[in-house]
Amino acid sequence: MNTQAIGILFLKDLYLSRRPLFWYFAAALLCSAMNVIPNPTLSFVGFVMILTVAIGSGMHLLGELLLSEGSEQTRTFILSLPVSLLDYSIAKITVVLTTFLIPWFTMFACSVILTSVLPWGKAGAVPVLVVVFLELLAAYTVQLVTAVISESVGWTIGVMVACNVFLNLFLMILFQNPEVSELMKSSVPIPSPLLLNVIGVEIAIIVVALATAFFMQLRKRDLV
Amino acid sequence: MSQQTGTIEVENTTSAVSLSHVFKWYPHFSLDDVSLEFPRGTVAGLIGPNGAGKSTTMRIMMGLVTPDKGEVSVLGQPISSQHATSKRDIGYFSEDMRLYKRESIGWHLQFVRSIFPGWDDEYATQLLGRFGLNPDQQVKGLSHGQRVKAVLLLILARRPQLLILDEPTNGLDPVARHEVLTELMRVVEDDQRTILFSSHNTQDIEKLSDSITFIDRGHVIASRGRDEFLDDWRRIRLQAPADWRPPVLPGIRLESHFRSQRVLSFDHFDQTVLDALQTSGATLEGVERMTLEEIFVSCVMRGREEVSI
Repeated sequence: MNTQAIGILFLKDLYLSRRPLFWYFAAALLCSAMNVIPNPTLSFVGFVMILTVAIGSGMHLLGELLLSEGSEQTRTFILSLPVSLLDYSIAKITVVLTTFLIPWFTMFACSVILTSVLPWGKAGAVPVLVVVFLELLAAYTVQLVTAVISESVGWTIGVMVACNVFLNLFLMILFQNPEVSELMKSSVPIPSPLLLNVIGVEIAIIVVALATAFFMQLRKRDLV
Repeated sequence: MSQQTGTIEVENTTSAVSLSHVFKWYPHFSLDDVSLEFPRGTVAGLIGPNGAGKSTTMRIMMGLVTPDKGEVSVLGQPISSQHATSKRDIGYFSEDMRLYKRESIGWHLQFVRSIFPGWDDEYATQLLGRFGLNPDQQVKGLSHGQRVKAVLLLILARRPQLLILDEPTNGLDPVARHEVLTELMRVVEDDQRTILFSSHNTQDIEKLSDSITFIDRGHVIASRGRDEFLDDWRRIRLQAPADWRPPVLPGIRLESHFRSQRVLSFDHFDQTVLDALQTSGATLEGVERMTLEEIFVSCVMRGREEVSI
């Protein structure tokens, strides 16, 4: 493994996605702030915008950093450099995940902090926020592994659609749950076995998806 | 250099590239038992029609495609998708290779420079001038010729020991082609550098190459020194009666037959061929040297016909 090459490839992709990342970061700050405005309509719009930024940035970054290397034929250029498949895979999967984590973490941290510190915020909603944000991350890793395995825009979009449908069902079931509704009214975060179980499943999905992405990428025999 | 059923055997053991019994199977194409060896410091040309297997062979040499069977070593090291060491000394150009369209040539120069400690800034600046490239120009605004020259600049300025160039002159206008070939000739002046160069333009190959390999439908059909090809092949025009049958001679092929005139092509031509034809009842009209393109076409057609006359 050539750590220097991995670093150069990672920074290259980070640089190439600098403009959209800036806008996703700005949008993340904006919708996180909107989400905690003490007005139900604006707060709802802010929440929907959070979901939209997470889904939109994920879709764009997968296309821009992962799928376009095949369709725009820049992968041949990169793989003609002294990098092995392992170096390339580590750099690529890491950067695709990192770039998504920038807006994701911004929204997550802002939402958790603002909900906890604002006088009208209900800190009891923090565990629910963790569950929702981990669902978004888990869905992204599932889309990432699809993109890595299939290298197909069609398949990746198909899985994205499925993930988004699932997200809506997931939110509906989550917010209709009486236990969750009670937790969200609390002024202190309360550990709930239900939410801890959901968090456990989400983390497991993330770990399995990332491990599968690396495994499948390293099994590839033909790179172009 | 000698040929044995699609194999170049080279006395020089320090080979730049060595493929031994390489197979690669795809659903609609296969590379069958390709064995090639190119010594260091030579220019080798790979000629083949579209879809012959040139690009697959070169991708295998770069570790971009893994053969299903066979051994590949480049610059004395085995190559595969997991080996990056030898790629440090290889410059690879492929027709389908693209740069990042939103970035400038200068950005690409800095990017590649950061990977190669041996990057030659002075040479890169010279090449920018010779190729008429502006480092501030975005890649998406480049013409095809400028794009090819930009990629070659990125390859050449790292001073690789081996250049693997897949159709570098394809689609270039005559001036750009001249510029590219001239630069490659400059590279060849360094005896230690090896160039492997594919094209379906036989003129380019003829101009640069010491040895030439013909490939068709995934098979190496002929491989030898350029001058040997040109010296060994002849076209013979003759008049012969309608019921005339050519004598059984190795390397003979009937190119055309119109009324009493026959045109034959010969590999390994010598005086015995003429003697055999004259004794067969034919009247010789002329013996001509063949161009590399004619030799290539004849080889391909003979391979496809699968049977000598």
